[in-house]
Amino acid sequence: MTLPPGALAARAHPFTPLVLTLSVALVALAAPGPEAAAFLYAATVLAVLAAGVGRAALRALVPLAPLWLFLFLLHGVLGDGERLVVAGLSFSRGGLLLAATQAARLGAIATASLALYASFSPSRFVDAVAERGWPFSASYLVVATLLALPRFRARAVAILEAQRSRGLRLRGNPMNRVRAIGPVTFPLLLGALAEVDERGFALETRCASGVARRTPLEPLRDTVADRGVRWLAGAGAAAAIAWRVFA
Amino acid sequence: MSALLLEDVEFTYPGASAPALRHCSFNAAGGAVTWLTGALGSGTSTALLVAAGLAPRHTGGNRRGTVRTLGLDPGTPLAGPALGGRVALVLPTPATQLSGIAETVAQEVAFAPANLGWPCERIHEGVARALASLGISHLAARDPGTLSGGEMQRTVIAAMLVLEPELWLLDEPTSALDAAGRMLVHGLLRSEAARGAAVVIASEDTDGLSAVADRLVVFAGGRPACDGTPESILRGDGVWEAGAASTTIAGLSRAARGAAPRPLTVAEGVARWTR
Repeated sequence: MTLPPGALAARAHPFTPLVLTLSVALVALAAPGPEAAAFLYAATVLAVLAAGVGRAALRALVPLAPLWLFLFLLHGVLGDGERLVVAGLSFSRGGLLLAATQAARLGAIATASLALYASFSPSRFVDAVAERGWPFSASYLVVATLLALPRFRARAVAILEAQRSRGLRLRGNPMNRVRAIGPVTFPLLLGALAEVDERGFALETRCASGVARRTPLEPLRDTVADRGVRWLAGAGAAAAIAWRVFA
Repeated sequence: MSALLLEDVEFTYPGASAPALRHCSFNAAGGAVTWLTGALGSGTSTALLVAAGLAPRHTGGNRRGTVRTLGLDPGTPLAGPALGGRVALVLPTPATQLSGIAETVAQEVAFAPANLGWPCERIHEGVARALASLGISHLAARDPGTLSGGEMQRTVIAAMLVLEPELWLLDEPTSALDAAGRMLVHGLLRSEAARGAAVVIASEDTDGLSAVADRLVVFAGGRPACDGTPESILRGDGVWEAGAASTTIAGLSRAARGAAPRPLTVAEGVARWTR
């Protein structure tokens, strides 16, 4: 995590961004139409900017852009029902509304998730879980999985470079690419399996199994504002889901 | 009482056709450094895993015979928590020994004490002391994933040192270190032995072990083949007959068809060959 020290996301209790992200996802699913979904997306982007992780909103556009285009083509162009002609092109009116709703929902979820990832501090999260007295294994699974992704990617790049230096051809015709799959993926998977084994040994020796109550290394402040935001977000998400189910 | 005792131990890994340890007996006492060496596959690493209880608890496989680690059978499920923090195990690949969740080296070293529920102050003091002992205080705020192999190996050893263990089990603990780093770690392990801890090191590297080890056990075929003081074993032929190697200088002497007792150091070699 590289956040400005004063950023709201860096000061917030680790559970607050987590609850907010989950709430955004639930409210997005419950959003009834394009207006509600667009409002949620806009609110999410503003919140992310205010929290000091505005880059997440920009980064979210990378996976979102092709998805939005796909939704537009699938529902707006190929959808059925009442047609709308713009500049000589025919679109489905209902399809466009559906595409806009889905696009805004995905935008809100992706932005919130990437903001959570950008602001996530593994050690603070582990400390927060330890302070609650919850099982260490649960926090370890979450944190180790999140941190494993960049390391796995770095190892994949290293293997790719090593195999390329030994003459593996990765460019050119499709057959070359197919042939390269084995020499790249097998060392990656075998290395990962060996690492899991040895890391298991290390964790056992370092008393990670059967931890009764882990000591939090840094004291965390769970302010009234943090708790209030979490309760409000949780209540909002529950209300949205209830309204969607029962209304 | 020995800190570690193996008596007539046989251990076979799952799917293996032959045991990795057979009729293996040796012990290690507190206050001494015991060095295990042997050719590849001679069983030294397996002996450490058996002593730590990870074989067969984690690896699977079959173990027979008597193993007592700090008075407990480490193979039983209850031994894990009972031995937690009292036995330090250092494996040869530093990168896989990291916790995987620490953002800084200091947090990495604090991982085990925090798991044991030590008070915060004791953890911070212990971490500072361990980092200083390994000469890596300046790395305290670094991301462990960005360290060099040698720095990582020092971090892994510091992460064990902080626990002040009663028994050290180290498999090639200086494989990624330079000469200065090796001397530092060897000196540290000697002071751990002086504190009363039992130190067991498995390594193929026999150069310089005379200055560290009180006792040398040469493994062959899954059991000790020679057991004695490093001086007596490394100067003789037994270590070579067991498929292991003595020091580089002793190897030169042997290649030149020199007779035992062989010189072990450069100074001894020069003195002998310039006579």
